Amino acid sequence: MQARLEITLKPELEDAEGLALQKKVKDVFGIELDSVRCIRILTFDAELTEAECILARDRIFCNPVSQQASFEPLDLDFDGCIWVGFRPGVRDNAGATAMEALSDVLGRTFGPDDTVYTSRRYCIKGKGLTEKLMDRIAGELLANDIIQQWKVFTKESWDVKEGVGLILPKVRLNHEPEVTNIPIDSDASLQAVSQARNLALNPNDVPVIRRYFLNPDTLALRREKGLEQPTDIEIEYIAQGRSDHCNHNTFRGLFRYRDVETGELEVIDNLFKTCIQNPTLKMQKEKDWVVSVLWDNAGAARFDDQWNYVITGETHNSPSNMEAYGGAITGIVGVYRDPLGTGKGARLIMGSYGFCLGDLDYDGPLKPRLHPRRILDGVVEGVRDGGNKSGVPTPFGQVTFHSGYMGKCLVFVTALGIMPKTVAGVPGHEKTTSPGEHIIMCGGRVGKDGIHGVTASSETFSAHTPAGHVQIGDPYTQKKMHDFLLEARDAGLIAFITDNGGGGLSSSIGESARFAGGCTVELDKVPLKYEGLDQWEIWVSESQERMTVSVKPEHLETFMALSEKHAVESTVIGTYTDTGYLEITWKGKTVAWIHMDLLEEGFPQWEFDCEWIPPKLRGIYEPVVGAPLDYNGLLKTLLARPNIASKEWIVRQYDHEVQANSVIKPLVGKERDIPSDAAVIRPVLDSERGIAFTQTLLPTYSQIDAGAMTAAVIDEAVRRLLAVGGGLSEMGGVDNFCWPDIQYHPDKNPDGRFKAAQLVRSCKTLQAMCEAYQIPLLSGKDSMYVDGHLQGPFGETRKVSGLETLQFSATAMVENVWLCQSMDVKNPGDRLYLLGETANELGGSEYYEWMGYVGLNVPEVYPEIFLPLYQALEKAIKNELVNSAHALARGGLGVHLALVAMAGCRGLNVDLGRVKIRGEIPLEREDILLFSESCGRMLVTVPREKEKTFTELFDGFPCVCIGEVMENDILRICGRQGKELVNTCVADLKQSFKQPFGDRI
Amino acid sequence: MTRQVKVLVLTGYGLNCDMETAHAFEMAGAAPERVHINSLIGGDERLEDYQILVFGGGFSWGDDHGAGVVQAVRIMTGLGDRIRRFIAEGNLVMGICNGFQTLVNTGLLPGFDGDYTRREVALLHNDCGNFRDQWVDLSVNQASPCIFTRGMDYLPLPVRHGEGKFYAAPEVIDRLENSGQVVLRYAGREGSPARGAFPLNPNGAVNDIAGICDPTGRVFGLMPHPEAFTHFTHHPDWTRLKAEGCVLQEKDLPGLNIFRNAVAFFKK
Repeated sequence: MQARLEITLKPELEDAEGLALQKKVKDVFGIELDSVRCIRILTFDAELTEAECILARDRIFCNPVSQQASFEPLDLDFDGCIWVGFRPGVRDNAGATAMEALSDVLGRTFGPDDTVYTSRRYCIKGKGLTEKLMDRIAGELLANDIIQQWKVFTKESWDVKEGVGLILPKVRLNHEPEVTNIPIDSDASLQAVSQARNLALNPNDVPVIRRYFLNPDTLALRREKGLEQPTDIEIEYIAQGRSDHCNHNTFRGLFRYRDVETGELEVIDNLFKTCIQNPTLKMQKEKDWVVSVLWDNAGAARFDDQWNYVITGETHNSPSNMEAYGGAITGIVGVYRDPLGTGKGARLIMGSYGFCLGDLDYDGPLKPRLHPRRILDGVVEGVRDGGNKSGVPTPFGQVTFHSGYMGKCLVFVTALGIMPKTVAGVPGHEKTTSPGEHIIMCGGRVGKDGIHGVTASSETFSAHTPAGHVQIGDPYTQKKMHDFLLEARDAGLIAFITDNGGGGLSSSIGESARFAGGCTVELDKVPLKYEGLDQWEIWVSESQERMTVSVKPEHLETFMALSEKHAVESTVIGTYTDTGYLEITWKGKTVAWIHMDLLEEGFPQWEFDCEWIPPKLRGIYEPVVGAPLDYNGLLKTLLARPNIASKEWIVRQYDHEVQANSVIKPLVGKERDIPSDAAVIRPVLDSERGIAFTQTLLPTYSQIDAGAMTAAVIDEAVRRLLAVGGGLSEMGGVDNFCWPDIQYHPDKNPDGRFKAAQLVRSCKTLQAMCEAYQIPLLSGKDSMYVDGHLQGPFGETRKVSGLETLQFSATAMVENVWLCQSMDVKNPGDRLYLLGETANELGGSEYYEWMGYVGLNVPEVYPEIFLPLYQALEKAIKNELVNSAHALARGGLGVHLALVAMAGCRGLNVDLGRVKIRGEIPLEREDILLFSESCGRMLVTVPREKEKTFTELFDGFPCVCIGEVMENDILRICGRQGKELVNTCVADLKQSFKQPFGDRI
Repeated sequence: MTRQVKVLVLTGYGLNCDMETAHAFEMAGAAPERVHINSLIGGDERLEDYQILVFGGGFSWGDDHGAGVVQAVRIMTGLGDRIRRFIAEGNLVMGICNGFQTLVNTGLLPGFDGDYTRREVALLHNDCGNFRDQWVDLSVNQASPCIFTRGMDYLPLPVRHGEGKFYAAPEVIDRLENSGQVVLRYAGREGSPARGAFPLNPNGAVNDIAGICDPTGRVFGLMPHPEAFTHFTHHPDWTRLKAEGCVLQEKDLPGLNIFRNAVAFFKK
């Protein structure tokens, strides 16, 4: 029967969700509502008797202590009512668990068509609730039309008997799957297919594909298989395999780099190989702790004698830009499958997030699909639910605002896992497939989610059309699979494992079959969410929470039994072979048959012209600034800048302590409210060893030079790790490039050559810095096309490009977590030391950005000078000579003095006269001294009794005592001429720091 | 040699604190096993072989229909009688966070009059509207019969939940208070009551209640995570404490003491 159960809190209880909506309506529309009450709705479309429905209500869905529920519409008073539910085919996690609970209580299983749909109804009271306003509340606050549908009701339009009606967003495709042949009689015809199917085939690839299929030998062999022209599955497979996402064509491209000033020309054949792969492989040879890099889903490094840790970082920008919550949860849950699919499988031990967004208070003429405010809410919640429900701590993250990211937001997700060095007698980080092994798909089922735009664009929306390309991650299903696969791993049942991410089965099987030398896939065995998918859709769908596993025949039975125990669906969908071909069958008939080497061979390299115009030639200068008079006010203003201000409300929504591995938490200090330099975890509970983790990005420096940006990002990462007690000798890096389009086009991308030059400079600097600091790149990813075309007020569109951005994640080993340190100043009387030199380097700084300037003097990095200083500091921390350590970063000395004081809730007495200066800074320009973002600097405090030993370690280095920790609460900073610049309560500073986002919890 | 106390820590279906919970019991001298819910219901593992049953933290069944609700259904359908017998035979049951939510939804707590089937209390969405990770200070009701908190008066622990607001009808609250079944309360750093003030009381719990037990003191549920304070470096202020010369050794770790009390109950 079909039934609709409405559940709500008892009237005497406060409705937190309703209050939150009330507040949002006030923030966004400036309208004061009287009240909002939420009703959860379960719509059953299943074989249930009336008695069973009532049993389900009483035993499961309605809590008698706090809730009331009814199969009739609940009689809650309202002036207006909004109903929000999913569109067909959107993952309804709560609906799925409702079915599980029904099975339990009723003691029977249900058929594939039995479903529960969840939705919500909001009963709103307030004056002036027009239908139009409610439509805006629904569309702008409650729902995203890509995945959700809504209805609004007024008192007049509400039918007390019918309520919202019985809305069943069931997918009905009414489609008989069929394989289509693709015409390849000319380049133009294949190109036309590419256009029509949204395959984005590169024009240079088209002749190569045709040549393969038209080869007489191939043709003869294909005829034996009953094939002739390429099928749509084959062409889709090739398109997936050749996509920039899967193949990294940009980074593997040929770059012709020309310096406009000097006229020098340099050709770099394959940026990835030159700047990332080769140096990393060289370092791997020299460092026995670098275990496995550059081929698997994540890189592996040694943790101790028994364990290796693995790390990788991803972005999920475009999907998050469309549907912030869905994009972000899919991103974090997706990146968690990478460690799980590395070697024979790693257990997740932490994750981190990075969000780059447009200005939160933007109210200009451009209309992004989602306002940055809404994107922030969505991505924060998405990573929260994905991370927390995965049982993986999220002890680090960052948020950066810049107008360029309104074109497209960035969502970075990073994952670390740990795996035994040896699994069932063989190295845990190795894996391979062999002929005769079963190809098994584990986890979720396949639907239309995550299939490239083609379906969404070519089909008109009806009430039963699946919302194709947007996905919602399901951490619950994945957590079950995670637990299962680790148990299977330890039992020695896994020969090979990889995740189904971009490209779905086509990529996971295509790549894993390379080891064995071929495969046969029976596509009709793949379990589906609903019938009616075409074969090619099954093959490329990116439906989430799936892994592909290779299992030897003798282990199959045990593997499947274990899968059943964990309530995880596993299905044998084929066999690895050594035929040299990838073969796909549908009900016994061959529908795809492609040589394994096709994707590796013969495709032309992408090419880019790069034009470097040095900043001066671009007309960039230092702004003309006179010395400020009110440093107290200035400092407070900078602390309240969105990129510096407290984001505690985000940090606290993330479980950063699950697994009990937390050593240095994301918020530190006396009041536990100042962001830490880095996180430290202790992933093996009976060991005192730890891993320090941090991530950095400084995109504003790219406005001057992306090379300088890259150097500063890596230097800051090193110092942050050092600050918490990370060692310098086993640091690993993960590079995540997010770049605007670099392919020159006279109209569509006129500055493409410059952006390409920026990428080359960034990659070359990455290589130089990693070599200088001896940081192998354990993993990395690139995400291009950080551009958006936003609509203006008169229907025109304007291209908005993100800044050239590199997020650098880094790890360091901590031999003994008891020697870790935090950034908060601690005891009065401790001496405050500044390490490193300060130069006139305000270019790209927070100070200039506040004034609306960019400037020219971007901070520079001198690793050969910095490194010995860092080594001395590492020793000082290990010898327990310091009471706090902190890396100077965005905002410069002034901001960071405030941060360490606020963290310790202590005053500081600081004399700028002692600061070591590189180059010249005019005496009256103390603002340069305070807000320059020169690299290579650290703030540490040292107890008096250890001062002598400490200073001996730094003999000959720029390491000067610039002040002292005070008993009081006053931050006092005196200038070089003895004049008092800053004199203010630390508590007041903290108020400024917390005020911008203070009303968020 | 005394026989080791056997502890069953449930796993599966989205539960996630099983490894550190098992580890805490191991540190406390017990022999913990992580057992999948289906292995227990299916009979591969026997509850009767254990002395302590632990419902740990996590997001059972995704917590989509109220935290711990579906787990409670599965447990009571598959194991209800065996768990009630387990309690009657003098064993211990502990529910942490999602486990506490499960215990109240099964009716194993508060267990008035020996009836372990009635839902009398609920853990609602936090008043702040969000999931929240923070450390709280807890005062311990020394008049409580609770086995797990014997000898303790104050302890700091982290909370990490979105649905931790303890709620019940006034007469149920009165009864819990009068019977000493309220074990833990959110407090200030010196142990003074939070009186509902955020963030000392992180979720708006009635009477600052953070944990309760059944009348026997052998069934205990709490929102904070004792298994997350079994190492000095778990404490958010440990680098500060160390700079002040105050280093907590393993024997002084309050989180760990909760597990020690449970194990000691069987060793006397």
